[in-house]
Amino acid sequence: MPWNRPWLLVVLLTLILAMSWWHWRPAGGEARQVRLLMGTTVEIVAFGDNQRRLEQAIDAAMDEMARLERLLGNGYPESDPDRINASDSAVTVAAETAAVLDLGLEIAQLSNGAFDLGLGRLKTLWGMEGPAPRVPDAGAVEAALAGVGPTALQLDGPQVTRRAAVAIDLGGIAKGEIVDHAVALLRRHGIEQAAVNAGGDMYLLGRHRDRPWRIGIQHPRQPGEVAATLHLADRAVVTSGDYERFFEQDGVRYHHLFDPRSGYPADACQSVTVVAESAVLADALATALFVLGVEDGLALLAHFPGSDALMIDAAGRQHLSAGMAAWLEQP
Amino acid sequence: MTSLWACMTGADRLLTLALTLFALAGAGWLLSAPPGERILVDDGVQIVYQGGFDRVAELSFHGPMGTSRLAIAADGVRVIEAPCPQKLCMGMGPARRSGDLIACLPNRLLVRIVGAQPAEAVHDLISR
Repeated sequence: MPWNRPWLLVVLLTLILAMSWWHWRPAGGEARQVRLLMGTTVEIVAFGDNQRRLEQAIDAAMDEMARLERLLGNGYPESDPDRINASDSAVTVAAETAAVLDLGLEIAQLSNGAFDLGLGRLKTLWGMEGPAPRVPDAGAVEAALAGVGPTALQLDGPQVTRRAAVAIDLGGIAKGEIVDHAVALLRRHGIEQAAVNAGGDMYLLGRHRDRPWRIGIQHPRQPGEVAATLHLADRAVVTSGDYERFFEQDGVRYHHLFDPRSGYPADACQSVTVVAESAVLADALATALFVLGVEDGLALLAHFPGSDALMIDAAGRQHLSAGMAAWLEQP
Repeated sequence: MTSLWACMTGADRLLTLALTLFALAGAGWLLSAPPGERILVDDGVQIVYQGGFDRVAELSFHGPMGTSRLAIAADGVRVIEAPCPQKLCMGMGPARRSGDLIACLPNRLLVRIVGAQPAEAVHDLISR
């Protein structure tokens, strides 16, 4: 266009070009898949230029998660926990199972038993996973806790021995381990930006395109509202709350996060959100901190540098670990 | 502006008018684009429904256990009837924000809220 034309034409053309660019600007490829695994919805979304590679990587990650569900869960022929529970002698388990047990036993000891891997009988007694959960009588609760504690299991490499008649249930930690394996597999496929979300337990790989991932933390008492927003990249975040799975009996709410020391639902917190470098650590710490409450929970967290927590106590007050503010969206 | 208009040729004026109208129409179109989220309902195999929050509706979906019913309103979409024994999906409350997910696992029903423009979504995912 000749430059002796009126400036108005230049402005209008520039405006049209800017609007066109804004609307059709390149956004890059995206692949997304949802599956029903581990009793929840698992969603993986990944960004990248090669659509086929994205889809292949997500397929492989989902398949790996399904394999690990059968290895670490209960009720499958391949289940390591079921094999341990069925044996009175040492059992050789898979490397993935041994890694989960190792971390779980460490947190069980550091938390003085507020986190425990041997609550299978207690969970069955309460029936939280079934159609008719109920409050058991005190004697039955006491019996279900017999032998439960940080020393009930002995781990020697891949060899696991039960020292007491506890039933292994990795529900408080396995989901995180499975998310971590999916992330590792995505990385091996060359994926640099993705989110693996297993029912709210998630790992954010890289950034959401050109910015950190924006993660809302469910408000424990106001459905549909968030308590806080986190900005994360290359971090896991897991929330444990008393609102996800519960029933009411005689006007009292009973949820699924049990205090192994009492056999009843823990009542110190409404929810705990942990940010950590791995989902398995975030998963186990979120459960342990929920049971311990604010003071003891933050003391336990100090054993794991790089991990932070947002704890909402029973009265609804928010408490942050020292580094948590760095992840929070500032008002 | 009067002097500018006076010094323009007839073709310039015509072009200026056309570009002005085009720019105004384009701006109006961009500004009126739906700002918010959309509802995707998935039966585990494919998307069986997608829509917005601009209408109040009740929808029925048939799964392996029976019929699940969803209610859509301005404040969110929620499961109001489920054939499964625990009915956890009904207790999950409404889903309204981008990143929200409601699932009825036994009846294989997934309800997901996605942003019309994901890059502008308030939240990418919800930790719960």
